[in-house]
Amino acid sequence: MNDIVKHSVRFFSAILVQVLLLNQIEIGFGIQLMIYPLFILLLPVETKVISLLFISFGLGILIDVFSNTYGLHASAALMFAFIRPRIFKLFDTRDGYDALVETNIFNMGLSWFLRTFGTLLFIHHFWFFLIEMFKMNEIAYVFQKTLLSLPISFAICVLLQSLFVKNQTGKQ
Amino acid sequence: MRNFIAFIKHFQVLLIFALLQGIALSFYFSFVQFPRSQYLTTAGAVQGSILSIRNDLTKHFNLEENNTLLQKQNIELLKKNPQSFIPQENGLVKINDTLQRLQYEYIPAVVINSTYDKRDNYFTINIGSNQGIKRGMGVFSTKGVVGIIHNTSSNFAVIKSCLTQKLNIAIVIDKTTEFGFLEWKGLDARRGTMTGVSNDFELKKWTKIITRGGGGVFPRGIPVGKIESFDVIEGEPLWDITLLFEENFKSIQNVYVIKNLLLEEQKSLEEEVQDQP
Repeated sequence: MNDIVKHSVRFFSAILVQVLLLNQIEIGFGIQLMIYPLFILLLPVETKVISLLFISFGLGILIDVFSNTYGLHASAALMFAFIRPRIFKLFDTRDGYDALVETNIFNMGLSWFLRTFGTLLFIHHFWFFLIEMFKMNEIAYVFQKTLLSLPISFAICVLLQSLFVKNQTGKQ
Repeated sequence: MRNFIAFIKHFQVLLIFALLQGIALSFYFSFVQFPRSQYLTTAGAVQGSILSIRNDLTKHFNLEENNTLLQKQNIELLKKNPQSFIPQENGLVKINDTLQRLQYEYIPAVVINSTYDKRDNYFTINIGSNQGIKRGMGVFSTKGVVGIIHNTSSNFAVIKSCLTQKLNIAIVIDKTTEFGFLEWKGLDARRGTMTGVSNDFELKKWTKIITRGGGGVFPRGIPVGKIESFDVIEGEPLWDITLLFEENFKSIQNVYVIKNLLLEEQKSLEEEVQDQP
């Protein structure tokens, strides 16, 4: 499939799943499930940071429009996109990144995915809840929300990949 | 100049990041304070219609509960029906009551999108300015107060619910004159707080709290909740009252918007008083 078509389909399905499904699931304890960072992670490695920023901003604003958060998701998505290249550099694989290989869990391996996506998702969630609360005396609650939401969001992202991303390594 | 361009190029990414981040954050913080535009909220036409399609699919899940609620309300209304009364005195002539005038009208609405787990929770309803909804109108359900209209489009409106910061609905302890304001601490969708009650006043647990009805937004007597616990605030002569909401915001569906027919009159009179030195 053409790369642009593939990523556009992912873009809109990320918004629809987030808005119509995950925003409605409210478990309690302040848990909020967010899977759209996965879309930003799976964008090609060689994407310029500037276009990455604009795509994430658009994605975030569209989600905000449907959930009355008005800029909150956009801010967190921007944070994710801004830090992505730095984290990629930090957890570099031995021979660097192959521009043609998608950075999903199958191609890069579980330990790389756990470190990279785990760190990025933590920063994303933490930033999101920090701005949402915006009070220093509620910082414990920010941590509670972050640490409770993180594992569930992460698990859903792994599940989504095993359902919808082709396992190229398994076929060979 | 060349240095300047080199500088811009070097920090290009950071600058664009800062710019977009600034836009996003200023959007967010200005919306929390006051709404400027309806296009970026669920009151927008496209967003509203997508959410109402979703609601069409899921609205029947709570049908049983809603039916019982409506039945209860019907019973209350039937009790007031003239047919259920036996005349005690015959021979009286019925005349039109001119001592009382209608002040509040109620417009039914359906909540098509709601949250209760965020820091500020907004509900979207399926009626808007075409049906006469304006910013600042009160909203309640059969159980109790829900919130205040925050912004509207032609066919949808967004309610700022009781589960937001800085809502400030005037509430009063039932059968007394002790009044305060309704606030929410952002943690528990079942509990709110009441501020501004002097601790000279003796409180009892499970006393009802109702709306005060002075601002013209809510009529007096709409239930808000019950006192669950109270504590002294250190250093201040006030009670810190925790109240249990009557309304269950987790499964809210049918609401009524209050239209105050005399609001204009009250507002213009109050403004006149403020203008005079």
